[in-house]
Amino acid sequence: MRLLRLALRSLRREWHLPELRTLAASMTLAVVALGVVATLATRIERGMLANAAELIGGDLGIASPQQLPADYAAQAHQRGLAISHGAGFPSVAFAHEQSQLLDVQASDAAYPLRGKLELRRASQGDVIGHGPAPGEVYLDHRALVALALKAGDHVQLGGRDLLIAAELLRQPDGGELFALAPRAIMNLADAEQAGLLGTGSRARHRLLVAGGPAEVSRWRTWVQTQALPQGAELITPEQTQERMRSAFDRASAFLRLTALLSALLAGVAIALAAQRYARRKTNEVALLRALGTPRRRVLGLLLGTLGALALPASLLGMLIALGIAQAAWAFASTLFTSVPVALPLGPAFAAAAMGVAVLVGFALPPLARLAEVPPVAVFRESMARRVRRFDALYLIPVAVALVLIWSQSGSARMAGILAVSLVGVAAVAALLAAVMLWVARHVAPGAHPALRLGLAALARRRGMSLLQATALSLGLVALLLLAIVAPALLEGWRRELPADTPNWFVLNLQDDQRPGFEQSLASIGGQQLNMLPLAVGKLMAINGHPIGQLSFKDERAKDWADRQLRLSWASDLPPSNQVIAGTWPGPQPAQPEISIDTMWRDMFALKVGDTMSFSVGEGTIDAKVGSIRQVDWSSFRVNFFLLLDPAHASELPHTWIASFYVPRGHTESLAKLSRDYSNLSLIDVDALLDRVREIVDRVSHAVRWVLGFSLLAGALVLAAALAASAAERRHEAALLRTLGARRAQLRAAAACEFALLGLVAGLTAAFGAAGTGWWLGRAVFHIEGFVPPLGPLVLSALGAATVVMLLGLAGTRKVTRTSPMRLLREG
Amino acid sequence: MSDSSPAVVGNVLLDARDVSKSVRGPEGQLDILRGVTLQVQTGESFAIVGASGSGKTTLLGLLAGLDTPSSGHIALDNHALEQMDEEARADLRRRLVGFVFQSFHLLPALTAEENVMLPLELEGSDDARSRARAALDAVGLTPRRRHYPAQLSGGEQQRVAIARAFVHGPRLLFADEPTGNLDQRTGHHVSDLLFALNHDHRTTLVLVTHDPLLAERCARRVELHEGRVVTRGAAELTI
Repeated sequence: MRLLRLALRSLRREWHLPELRTLAASMTLAVVALGVVATLATRIERGMLANAAELIGGDLGIASPQQLPADYAAQAHQRGLAISHGAGFPSVAFAHEQSQLLDVQASDAAYPLRGKLELRRASQGDVIGHGPAPGEVYLDHRALVALALKAGDHVQLGGRDLLIAAELLRQPDGGELFALAPRAIMNLADAEQAGLLGTGSRARHRLLVAGGPAEVSRWRTWVQTQALPQGAELITPEQTQERMRSAFDRASAFLRLTALLSALLAGVAIALAAQRYARRKTNEVALLRALGTPRRRVLGLLLGTLGALALPASLLGMLIALGIAQAAWAFASTLFTSVPVALPLGPAFAAAAMGVAVLVGFALPPLARLAEVPPVAVFRESMARRVRRFDALYLIPVAVALVLIWSQSGSARMAGILAVSLVGVAAVAALLAAVMLWVARHVAPGAHPALRLGLAALARRRGMSLLQATALSLGLVALLLLAIVAPALLEGWRRELPADTPNWFVLNLQDDQRPGFEQSLASIGGQQLNMLPLAVGKLMAINGHPIGQLSFKDERAKDWADRQLRLSWASDLPPSNQVIAGTWPGPQPAQPEISIDTMWRDMFALKVGDTMSFSVGEGTIDAKVGSIRQVDWSSFRVNFFLLLDPAHASELPHTWIASFYVPRGHTESLAKLSRDYSNLSLIDVDALLDRVREIVDRVSHAVRWVLGFSLLAGALVLAAALAASAAERRHEAALLRTLGARRAQLRAAAACEFALLGLVAGLTAAFGAAGTGWWLGRAVFHIEGFVPPLGPLVLSALGAATVVMLLGLAGTRKVTRTSPMRLLREG
Repeated sequence: MSDSSPAVVGNVLLDARDVSKSVRGPEGQLDILRGVTLQVQTGESFAIVGASGSGKTTLLGLLAGLDTPSSGHIALDNHALEQMDEEARADLRRRLVGFVFQSFHLLPALTAEENVMLPLELEGSDDARSRARAALDAVGLTPRRRHYPAQLSGGEQQRVAIARAFVHGPRLLFADEPTGNLDQRTGHHVSDLLFALNHDHRTTLVLVTHDPLLAERCARRVELHEGRVVTRGAAELTI
């Protein structure tokens, strides 16, 4: 208690010291940057899950090949969750002596629990509805066209005569873009009564639940403790909408990167300020020690002071972070139209804890060493400085930085890249600065007097110059990454979705329809037509072993082994695909070859050289795995898990799938196209594209917000770096003035000194930021062909050197005005 | 006051007339120096003595042009200091003046040789290093020229400071308690060195000291008490 009182008193007395204020400001900034981003990221994550819930029709679900035990629904009911039962199965519909295989979904009246079921009723026009009443069915456009029906007509389904109550426009479909058969939604009770869901049917039963996040989470925990029926699986919002997910992941990575760099900048400022504080306190500590204060107590006092500073600083940081996050959410929340998401407090607390870790981690080494000042230092100041070749204590800030990078980056890869890059930048900056100092020593005697004095000043403060160059480089690299590389990355991302990104997909195009379709499309202004063959098949065997006899660790494998698969072929490697093992097949491979994506490699433990057998139509094809591809699923292109070589696959029974761009406002022309080719499914992805574009824009805004804090943190680093040598400079200036140095001479020397320092830091930072940006763009953000803007980076580096010089000069203004009398007064 | 400056004639290097210095403190105006008048001839040694707080250091600062008097006139080598701005005074100091301080004021990050080179670097001298070595040789510190101040004893540090003060051949050397931080024997060696340089180079020596023995070695001395000259030694009058 007494120690705490002493620490508080000490803090009150020393609060006017600039280094303590720098410590407090840096810590607050670190907490604000980390807190805002973490709070926003958590909220966006929750908002996104809520959004995704709209896409599956509930917050969580279970799909099962058998009827689920009643317990599952009962447990959900007990927890106050809303419940919807349903089932999906293929069935043939008949009307006017025509038949059509439909992808039928049987639903109760509660469906959907989340999201919207959009219907077009003959009488009311477009409406939002729920599952059909008994005796009613909804058919989509393709089904209506195929059966030559319209809303209000009757259709035979499962042996029952059903009224087509509405045309099905859109349903929460789990983000499944490519349903192969036309769709229908019928009443669940009707399906049950028709015997469509009984034993032996191909129905997949589904239970959806929705409610408060805590209740849903509790139910999920309970479900996970149960042995789910054979083949059953959880339907989670996280699994849906890979494209949206990818956009949000990138967004979150950008924001985390920004916050992380701000926190690291704050750490550098804290380290510099703590160094200065320790130096200032040396005499006081020596005196305390001489007067008999034990070392432990001195350390306790120093840490107490630090703690007394940390508590209000982190609290303030938390409050500001929550305030800003709340304000920023007001803009971002329009992205999420579903359930309201409360302001989460956890991330702000975590940020405060991280802020304390940054403060302690970066400030501890100089303070701990300060406690070791021997009492004899009161007699001889030089005794206070024990130079160590290696000080293990300084591994603490390195460890804190690494933990921060690891915990904040959200990806091991980004953490690794950042850690390696920042260590590299620090090492190169230190090396360059050492070379500069060596040159300074050897060039100085023959140089211009101002340069000579500047070089001599740099050389005089060798240790400090190295520290300043390194700290400035780290600060600048973080700033350049944020100010130039991050926007360039965002721009690269935006360029991936240019205005003419394909916004329509078409399925089921037949060989003989291709020329006509292409012509019709061109006539309505369609562009960027990309057509790929599509064969539907089933995986039969791997390396000659029937798939039914194989077992795989990955649970998804069984599901995929049971499914109908979509196969395609292409002579060239499609864009946004990258071969990571094996080779892309030549024009005429000796035997059929297949290229698989990494998910398939992982699911079925496949490797190059394995053989996969598929049944397609009436025939089979045995293909050797020739290559493994990494596919960027976030691109709005038609991509396939499985690509065969065209030489062997082109004779397989197939249709065509195409993507194309049609400017908005061509609804009528597209409707005509749809009527002309009634077997085709036209899918509009404009809404999805819009949403992704909106995310990119909003992330850009958010990055700018956080960038503001980073700039502040950068300014703090600069101020701390300059302040670190201020006392020494003042003494030196007084001495030089006494010896007759003119102010202009001191200013010119300082300008040379800071310009050199800025140049070393700026250039190291520019190339460091370019390298890191290139690496991040390629490995983390997967932005194809991203080239960091080297020109602006170098210009910024030169600008930074100028700013460092000007700020250095401004900082030394006071120094050059130091009265030479100061020396006489000091004795 | 400028009309009185031409009064400095012949071999008077430093001429102070009726110099006063006051500062404003929390308890009103504080008079540190009150009407001090003195003259120092070229090549002589001159001591300013007095108790702590008598105004010795302030007077030294004014005589060296480090500060300006509140009133009165000071001429250094016929230049009226109170009419010059800080830049011009700095220029004058660089050409004419050397300093030795009680706490040595060596820059810790520089070797002995680099510390001595400082005034030469300010002049833009091309042979700074060789001249610095010669100066260190003169004070017997050639073997220590690559040492940093922290690696030198107090006496050695003060000898480096003396070498720095002499290296650019000043006509006037100000020493503020040059032996104040040294033991008697070392102090004696240092003062021997100062007087030898004063004699050999005909450098005028103005020193502030508490040490009566050191003061007695000077050709002339004044004693200050509460900002006034109360006694003058040797050829000076006693008030």
